Amino acid sequence: MHGRVKLKSTAQQEEEKRKEREKKLKIYVATRDACFNKRKEGAMDDEALQLTQQLLSANPDFATLWNYRREILMHLETVKEEDEVQKQFDAELVFLETCLRVNPKSYGCWYHRGWVCGRQPKPNWTRELSLCDECLARDDRNFHCWDYRRMVVKESGVPVDQELQFTDRLIGSNFSNYSSWHYRSTLLPLLHPQSPDLPVTCPKSSTNSPPNSPHTHSHRVCEEQLLKEYELVQNAFFTDPNDQSAWFYYRWLLGRAEREEMISCVYMSREGERVVVAFSRPAQAVGLMLLLDGKMQKVEWRSAPPSVRHSPVWICEFPPGTISDINNEHNLTVHWTEKYTKRECALYTGRAESWCRDTATDQELFRSELSVEKTSVLQSELQSCNQLMELEPENKWCLLTIILLMRALDPLGYEKETLAHFQKLKEVDSMRSSYYSDLCSKFMIENTILKMEYAEVRVFSISEKNLSTLCHLDQLLLVTHMNLCSNQLSRIPPQFSMLQCLEVLEVDDNLIESLDGLSNLPKLEELSLKNNQISKISQLEPLASCPKLTRLDLRGNPITKTDNIPAELSELLPSVTDLML
Amino acid sequence: MGTQVKDVVIKADAPNALLLDKHADYIAAYGLKKDDYEYTLSEYLRMSGIYWGLTVMDLMGQLHRMNTAEITEFIKSCQHECGGISASIGHDPHLLYTLSAVQILSLYDDVDAISVDKVVEYVKGLQQEDGSFAGDKWGEIDTRFSFCAVATLALLGKLDAINVDKAVEFVLSCMNFDGGFGCRPGSESHAGQIYCCTGFLSITGQLHQVNADLLGWWLCERQLPSGGLNGRPEKLPDVCYSWWVLASLKIIGRIHWIDKTKLSTFILACQDEETGGFADRPGDMVDPFHTLFGVAGLSLLGDEEVKVVNPVFCMPEEVIRRVGLHPELLG
Ligand SMILES: [Zn+2]
Repeated sequence: MHGRVKLKSTAQQEEEKRKEREKKLKIYVATRDACFNKRKEGAMDDEALQLTQQLLSANPDFATLWNYRREILMHLETVKEEDEVQKQFDAELVFLETCLRVNPKSYGCWYHRGWVCGRQPKPNWTRELSLCDECLARDDRNFHCWDYRRMVVKESGVPVDQELQFTDRLIGSNFSNYSSWHYRSTLLPLLHPQSPDLPVTCPKSSTNSPPNSPHTHSHRVCEEQLLKEYELVQNAFFTDPNDQSAWFYYRWLLGRAEREEMISCVYMSREGERVVVAFSRPAQAVGLMLLLDGKMQKVEWRSAPPSVRHSPVWICEFPPGTISDINNEHNLTVHWTEKYTKRECALYTGRAESWCRDTATDQELFRSELSVEKTSVLQSELQSCNQLMELEPENKWCLLTIILLMRALDPLGYEKETLAHFQKLKEVDSMRSSYYSDLCSKFMIENTILKMEYAEVRVFSISEKNLSTLCHLDQLLLVTHMNLCSNQLSRIPPQFSMLQCLEVLEVDDNLIESLDGLSNLPKLEELSLKNNQISKISQLEPLASCPKLTRLDLRGNPITKTDNIPAELSELLPSVTDLML
Repeated sequence: MGTQVKDVVIKADAPNALLLDKHADYIAAYGLKKDDYEYTLSEYLRMSGIYWGLTVMDLMGQLHRMNTAEITEFIKSCQHECGGISASIGHDPHLLYTLSAVQILSLYDDVDAISVDKVVEYVKGLQQEDGSFAGDKWGEIDTRFSFCAVATLALLGKLDAINVDKAVEFVLSCMNFDGGFGCRPGSESHAGQIYCCTGFLSITGQLHQVNADLLGWWLCERQLPSGGLNGRPEKLPDVCYSWWVLASLKIIGRIHWIDKTKLSTFILACQDEETGGFADRPGDMVDPFHTLFGVAGLSLLGDEEVKVVNPVFCMPEEVIRRVGLHPELLG
């Protein structure tokens, strides 16, 4: 029950209402039973149509009665002349129209209407379209009607550009119409698709790729149309800067196609005789095949984090002695049979490890090279938004959009402004401050990855950035040293176990309570956890699976105040020789 | 012209504590007024009504107050020759009520009261070539029915009876520019539909296909100044949408993106102090549907007066564990 206000009434009013309801109940039950009885007897007559009509007028959600009517109509098709049948169907549509006027949100009515039209030899789709127009004029957000309209459009072959003009018209008369913007997002990619050849670094998708989601290439819009579209949206949010519809749409326009599924990195190490494979998106290892020096290797894959069906990172080990001899050279080929792709990696003599990968910058993961034209359009968009900010300094939508535009243009150059805008966002929209913290963390991590890759180092350092969450860890597979000090992290998430090369981790001055992700890290030697929230020995248990851990700094944690801790720790972590409490 | 934010105002004297005893009394009494007009009008969804009532009673530790034998008999009499289950006697079978019936029997640990094999056949028979599911033999397609199908089969331990890959493909084809999902390909995102689709992807182990950051943003933007959540942009807040949004956020690991204290205040304010039960909004009429989603929402928010609810099945977590299910949740 929705939107029924509870009214105060006197005892007398109550009594009157009770009597009235009793009367209505009697009629209703009698009619219902009559319907059910007739159906049991197999009656397919006008009386049955009348009785069901009576009940459905009052209660259009009574699905079984629509079913009964369909049975009757199908029966009449077989016994009546064609024009009589057409009349019968027309009468049904008239009845449905009155139902929809009273209950424009009834699933049953809309479905039945579509069924009736689909059944007619000559459905009048023009009339159906104007019915939709009328209905949307009363409520332009009615999703039942929108869906019905899409069905009519499809059945009657209305061209896509005509539908786009329809959204032009609706948006023109009322910018604040999320349904129209949504519809536009489905039409534009059909009319102006992004050329699939544009993202140069991505290999062609294979034949059995997943269905098109709005984030894959086929659902993105070509640049020329995109640039025009910015203008339309800008008009909308300048007219009403607090209407969220246009801002949501704008963020979609600023968004980018999702990465193709591919192998992004192969890493191999003599120590442990280990191979690590990273995918661009979470995948299963079932389709992976390893050829070492031309010979197929049977291995057991395990995911990082463990026991996940779809993971971006998979690990396996060769039998002892396969690649351990530093005097031997090895060539590894990883085939991903499902996607018909492969990746090669050579391990030379004298080298302890080797890898082959596309960097985040190669893949244009966090920022893309913009065309001159797009750069100038985005620059002027940024200027417009900055102007709007002056008029509406508290407008969160505008603030967030400015951040997104800055990221598209120059994420590193605008880092300081971005941080300041996030701070402001958390103040003006405090209900969503955790969202902004997480988003800001993500952007700062992306910037740090970019900086690391430009510097071509394996050190990832991001301190005093108020990080509240860790992400993109699959991009950090090769990192050996990590500094996360002075942030707001409360946990090391399970995905952290992807960092198979990590040797030193400093995470001082955070709020760490959980170390789930610090497990099975084969190279981790030093861990500094100063000034966190570790209070129980059980929180340190994951570390027991890191065989090389020798140095552990726990100073400034509540756990240091408990008795007998050194003894318990040396039992849990026998490899740690350098313990600071 | 500026958009007026559609929202409600919570009065200072609105309830701010959970009135568990009142709600239990309200639900226990609800099923007894069988000759009430309103009650009779809702016969077409009776099976779901019973699921709402029993689940909220279980969450409140009051399941024993309901008449197990009577309800089980009723469910048995609603299973049809085709295996499907109807909302009530005399009504036609449908996936919506088939799921409700299986949920109820799972609460009672008694799914064998009905013919499980026939239910599986029924669900299987409704899958279409494109992977979607019809709600019944009349062919209406909706991602809600995809959820009903996999939730029913998962509770029965028979998920492999259908073509799961195809089913996943269809649900993913309903994903939108905002990261949300609609009824069918091309349909606008809607919180109820998003709940069904994220729940579906959780049960089928495909949550990595969701754009969790984008969808999470849309979902947390459903929270209005009153603290309540709406189901789509520019709509009023509602206790049932609060559940659908909140459960979806829990499934994709982003529940901390909303203000929990404010939402809790809104949900509590939707209680009726006189009659017990929750309404869609403060001051409206209560019903079992919003009573379940009010209590379940508070459970997801961490209220320890009620049992822990599973965000995917909207049933007590202990029941889902007993069945042996571990639906995926993003971290
Ligand atoms: Zn509601």
